[in-house]
Amino acid sequence: MGRYIIRRLLQAVPLLFVISIIVFVLIMNMGDPLVSFAGRSGQVKGKDRERLIRQLGLDQPIYVQYLVWLVGNDWMKIDVDGDGIPETNGTRMGVLRGDLGTSVVTRQPVIQMIMERLPNTLLLMVTAEVVIIAFALFLGITSALRQYSWYDNIFTGLSFVGYSMPVPLLALGLIYIFGVYLKRSGLPYFPTVGMFEPSAGKTWEQILWHLVLPVATLSIISIAAYSRYIRSNMLEVIGQDYIRTARAKGLMNRTILFKHALKNAALPIVTLIGLDLGFLMAGALVTETIFSWPGMGRLFYDHAVKSDLPVLMGILMLISVSVVFFQLLTDITYTFLDPRIRYQ
Amino acid sequence: MTRVFTKRPIVLVALAAILLIAAACAPATAPTAAPAQPTAAPAQPTALPAQPTTAPAPTEAPQPTTAPAPTQAPSASGNKVISISYTQEPNNLNPLYSNQWFMYNLQDFYLATGLITFNDKNEPLPWIATEIPTVENGGITPDGKVITFKLRDDVKWSDGEPLTADDYVFTYQMIMSDKNTVASRDPFDTAVEKVEAKDKNTLVVTFKEPFAPWMTKIFSHVNGTVALPKHILEPVFQKNGTIDNADWNRAPTVGIGPFLFKEWETGSHLTFEANPNFWLGKPKVDQIFIRIVPDDSAQLAAIKAGDVDIGVFISPSDVPDLEKLGTLDVAKVQSGYKELWNFNLSTDEATKGHPALQDANVRRALVMAVDRDKIDQELLYGLTKPALTFWDGMPQADPTIQPIKYDPEGAKKLLDDAGWKVGADGIREKDGVKLKLRYATTTREVRKNTQAIVQQQWKEVGVDTELINYPSDVFFNSYGDKGPIATGQYDIAEWSDAPNFPDPDTSRWLCSEIPSDANPPGGNWEFLCDKELDALFQKQAQTVDANARTELFHQIQKIIADKVYWVSIWDDPDLWTISKKLSNVKFSGATPFWNSYEWDKSQ
Repeated sequence: MGRYIIRRLLQAVPLLFVISIIVFVLIMNMGDPLVSFAGRSGQVKGKDRERLIRQLGLDQPIYVQYLVWLVGNDWMKIDVDGDGIPETNGTRMGVLRGDLGTSVVTRQPVIQMIMERLPNTLLLMVTAEVVIIAFALFLGITSALRQYSWYDNIFTGLSFVGYSMPVPLLALGLIYIFGVYLKRSGLPYFPTVGMFEPSAGKTWEQILWHLVLPVATLSIISIAAYSRYIRSNMLEVIGQDYIRTARAKGLMNRTILFKHALKNAALPIVTLIGLDLGFLMAGALVTETIFSWPGMGRLFYDHAVKSDLPVLMGILMLISVSVVFFQLLTDITYTFLDPRIRYQ
Repeated sequence: MTRVFTKRPIVLVALAAILLIAAACAPATAPTAAPAQPTAAPAQPTALPAQPTTAPAPTEAPQPTTAPAPTQAPSASGNKVISISYTQEPNNLNPLYSNQWFMYNLQDFYLATGLITFNDKNEPLPWIATEIPTVENGGITPDGKVITFKLRDDVKWSDGEPLTADDYVFTYQMIMSDKNTVASRDPFDTAVEKVEAKDKNTLVVTFKEPFAPWMTKIFSHVNGTVALPKHILEPVFQKNGTIDNADWNRAPTVGIGPFLFKEWETGSHLTFEANPNFWLGKPKVDQIFIRIVPDDSAQLAAIKAGDVDIGVFISPSDVPDLEKLGTLDVAKVQSGYKELWNFNLSTDEATKGHPALQDANVRRALVMAVDRDKIDQELLYGLTKPALTFWDGMPQADPTIQPIKYDPEGAKKLLDDAGWKVGADGIREKDGVKLKLRYATTTREVRKNTQAIVQQQWKEVGVDTELINYPSDVFFNSYGDKGPIATGQYDIAEWSDAPNFPDPDTSRWLCSEIPSDANPPGGNWEFLCDKELDALFQKQAQTVDANARTELFHQIQKIIADKVYWVSIWDDPDLWTISKKLSNVKFSGATPFWNSYEWDKSQ
């Protein structure tokens, strides 16, 4: 098992390199890198453009720029005063030495920017994930146990509705119902935007109150999908021979359910959750935008439209590492859940 | 199947109950007990002068009256909070590093060190400068090349250091330094020869040639070249070799202005707190809260729910709904933009427009054939109407220009007289060429609707149209990037444009700006070269005297109106919403928050 883990980790290194090269090339071709310097006219022109391109190192060939990103430029000379002759040492140390660079847009170190937003995203996504798992398991299992009853049929219908709902529609619908109309009619309501109210300050109460609608938006759609999946898995497992044997032996229903059926039905769910966990850090772009939740999804989008290479690379590499790590973790979890699976 | 969860319904009911209780226990948004207001409000500054004329006669700078010591401690901070919703987050808080609108207008709060500001009528007022320099008061030399600014001597940074001319010289050095990646050096790299501090309160700027737009471009809030705190940033520059990564760029804790920076939580909000030592008196409001709401619909919901007091860039289609609420006012703020038609007047083989457009009468007929007032009524809810000149709403606008009236019969006559006769298929033609025009614009819904109406009205006078739409990042590409308009692939193009507001200067009609292989970034996308017009534009850029300059612009506008070089479909003001709880809120198109120290809010 130990050898398996080490082998997987070693495989991850060239994988991450390849990912970083592909992503770098894609981002370089994505748009005007100086768009964040422009005002309402949308374009930087003329002498300012030439100067900025030189100062930001954008006139170098693409492989040089990638190299600078990777290992920094303090070992080479760059041209600061525009006379065409490189004379000053650079200041960047490169990703391999821990320097993710500075954002072109905000002038902050990328690590600092990510660390500011990561807790907010994790709060939102982990809460949503817990809610999704809890409700999906509950609904999936109970639906499977009562197949074709009125309970099952209602939730089947609701699942289809929930799953087909576009995220913006659901989010705005919840905002209007719970934020605008309930407030107008004097009933208890939920806030429309942000993480907390300015006049009340950033307290846990405020954050929880503001968390409800975004988590509901994220959860409803995923619960609809996952509960269907769990339901069909449970139905399949419940029909198996060994369950019939267990029942014939006279075991309690609860034992049959949790000790035998669920463990087997859980494997595909673990795969799904494992995939989800890897992407938790990426945040949920649309939800965060509509609720103005300051998270990683929005950070990525805001800086993607401004073609801010260091930030985009930083976030994407972080997500890549996270996905690779959680894939590994999921694979290892299988060995605990299913004794038939063994790795060398 | 036996029942596993007999308690199931109770579980569901319990969950629902928990949710409702959570909502009910939500803390109230309004503070429950408003602390008592201080009995002695800080004295009001005397009102800014009511009639600044277009010729900047020396006006009195605002005089702070001595503020009596309040007899009671001021109410707890965070009591009166005005919240503004921003759909874009500012990039950072150092105005040298971006020209982003959402960033540079915050300077009116925390870095109000511009020499001259603009009021809600876009008239200039002295701010840090004690008076607006003119030739009469000796501020400008007769040859127009040297401008001397006398600075107020009672303005201090929030840490007690006085604001002096050295701060301005330092800012100039930072802009010109190769080690700083500032967004733009304009106009310091092209027009300015040197910037000197003659003494602590006298700033002298020497130009290479007389530079007419100095009011909006030299140490002005409008282009973000305001004074930075030398005593904070010079040590950073000397230590790091650059001020690119200074902490101050993100957290400008030392500032000057009615509201000082308190905190910025990225992605969420910025807060600014009232400055008790502001030189015009402490503002009446305690805190400004800028909330980042990136989604337009979410912003609308927040405005309707009353979660924000001021909203910006509202779309016209939302205005009727908002006005029905009765809790807010919608303000139209002129910021220089006009939705306009450009005519492709190029005769060059690669970029040429339809030959009919070379005739001014044809251009006039095309405008007469369209009922622009009706378009504005239907598509823009009557919120605006066609502008008469490119400089409407500015002091240089010529009041004698007459609008072109909707007159389809007159249009038909003009076209007939110009030799374009209706052919067998109902479309006009001349010398075998059909009068079919390429009408291009972006993909915005309101523009597509305009195109549809225009196409139909032109058909009635015998003009055929091909409608083309480009996504805006393609539409606005320069000649060098093969942009469709810049390379002349159109006959009539529609978009929204402005002069260098609030300065009337513009280079869009200069012969030297015609895009070509030799000049890929050229901005004259009408390919127009009218010698008389060109000479006037070049002259106004060097005419420092405001009256003479206005006179030149009147001549310019007459030529443009006569020859129909350009026409406006509608005036494009910015739409702001202001909650009715607020008072004294007036926005300027140039420096939006110029009078924030006078804002007040009732609870």
